[in-house]
Amino acid sequence: MQFLEQFFGNLGVHCSRAVAPECRHWGIQHLRAVAPRCIPAVLLVFLALVGVMPAAAQQYEYERPVSAAPTPEDIGEGYAIPQVQFHPPRAQWREALDVGVLLVGLGLTALVVLKWRSRWALVLIVIGSLVYFGFYRQGCICSIGAIQNVVATLADPQAVLSWYVIAFFFLPLIAALFFGRVFCGGVCPLGAAQELILVRPMIVPRLLDQVLSWGKWVYLGLAIYFAARPAAERDFIICRFDPFVGFFRLSGPLDIMLLGAGLLLLGMFIGRPYCRWLCPYGALLSLCSRLSWRNVTITPDKELDCGLCAEACPYGAIRDLRADLATCVACARCYDKCPRHRVQRTGGQAPAGDAP
Amino acid sequence: MADEQQRHTRREVLGHAARGATLLGLGGLASYLVLKAGPEGAWSINAQKCVNMRPGAVGVEACDRCATQCVLARSAIRAVNDYDKCGRCYICPAHFDVSSAIDKNGLPSAKLCPRDAIERKPIGWVDPYDPANNFYEYIIDEEKCNGCGKCVMACKEPAGLSSLRLTVRHDLCLDCNRCSIAQVCPDDAYQRDPA
Repeated sequence: MQFLEQFFGNLGVHCSRAVAPECRHWGIQHLRAVAPRCIPAVLLVFLALVGVMPAAAQQYEYERPVSAAPTPEDIGEGYAIPQVQFHPPRAQWREALDVGVLLVGLGLTALVVLKWRSRWALVLIVIGSLVYFGFYRQGCICSIGAIQNVVATLADPQAVLSWYVIAFFFLPLIAALFFGRVFCGGVCPLGAAQELILVRPMIVPRLLDQVLSWGKWVYLGLAIYFAARPAAERDFIICRFDPFVGFFRLSGPLDIMLLGAGLLLLGMFIGRPYCRWLCPYGALLSLCSRLSWRNVTITPDKELDCGLCAEACPYGAIRDLRADLATCVACARCYDKCPRHRVQRTGGQAPAGDAP
Repeated sequence: MADEQQRHTRREVLGHAARGATLLGLGGLASYLVLKAGPEGAWSINAQKCVNMRPGAVGVEACDRCATQCVLARSAIRAVNDYDKCGRCYICPAHFDVSSAIDKNGLPSAKLCPRDAIERKPIGWVDPYDPANNFYEYIIDEEKCNGCGKCVMACKEPAGLSSLRLTVRHDLCLDCNRCSIAQVCPDDAYQRDPA
């Protein structure tokens, strides 16, 4: 009753101005008497309710039907609870395969550059590395980023490192002690992207090149500093600012993608801007390469100072007609342009028009 | 001439020595790390922190950062149904959008999963005239799921039995040093587990 009264009271407010003052305080006993005068309003409300009701009725009043999971006996018919989906982590043999590909890549690059001196064969290796380490492995595992993992593990007694990352950090360095920066030349996918995009190499003024190349030491220092901090404050800046990994994954933060696009655009005219001026692993490799056992050599026997090799080197790694072991990234462009080498390649016949 | 040769050899000896020393240093460092080596920790989602999973967080919008922030084109996160907890409801609040209109079969007309990744099939002894009292298995198609967490949020006490959870597919996860999901997780639930 109370409810009805209230309801019609509310209704009364609606029709109060238009109809009658008694509508305002309807008692249920007055209902019959005053109803006819309020009919339009009641009709309106009724229509509105009819309009709204179907939608309200369709709203599912959800309530959980069970209080516990049914047992296989409840379900019956010999039902067995299925296995929950589970996928084990990446298999060890795949990690071993990655290390194997790295070793083969380093070995092949050394063979192709130092022994065969073949540019086109190197380009094949570079494409292979770009596909495998770049697009297939999506830029992870990466020797450059491994610097920070190694430093973090050395600084933090709790941190551990898998043999996989250890291998990717040390093998290219050891290879550089023997054959120079074959990792940069043939295996590194970041180097590969820049190597392949270099269409119109321009020579960078020596002084500018030298000043800019300090950048990689600064970057290395920052990387070590941020990796050596306590776990909560550790910041993997090499991974965070990796300019090309977004292209391998076809997604990434906009600012880093723009940085990468800028470097690639620059890299069309200036040889490997990231490797030469920014790459912290390149800094470590250049130290090892300086001490290398075998490396790229320019005309060691008979002197022929045509200088075509120096002009062909987009990285400024040939100084006074000798390869600068620290900066040479074993790209074999110099051999490709060497007239004597061409003569050897074409079976002792000098090319008709002669080089360049 | 002899002097020249001698200088040459001395230089070579020095070179060998420097190379040997560096090799020893690198080898020492590597063997120290190898001795310390072990399985590295992996990224995982803490169910007590994640808003989609933690008990009590109901009636809020599901957080989809696991689906949107992963560096992979399709996230390495998947929803998983723990079958021993699942109530096998006739109308599952994670499979159906229970706020949608009822269709002619008396079931909600819309699915909750935006990718339609949850399959529903009757199990056990099926009474075709009383579908409401049958049990239903809800199977997540991992090829469709991207870990948006809507179903996980929906199947939570009191609406569901919290049988759904989000997991990291470790065969897909690139194990980034700097996980981009962890950077933006609002509950700090995405963390690196010690192995």
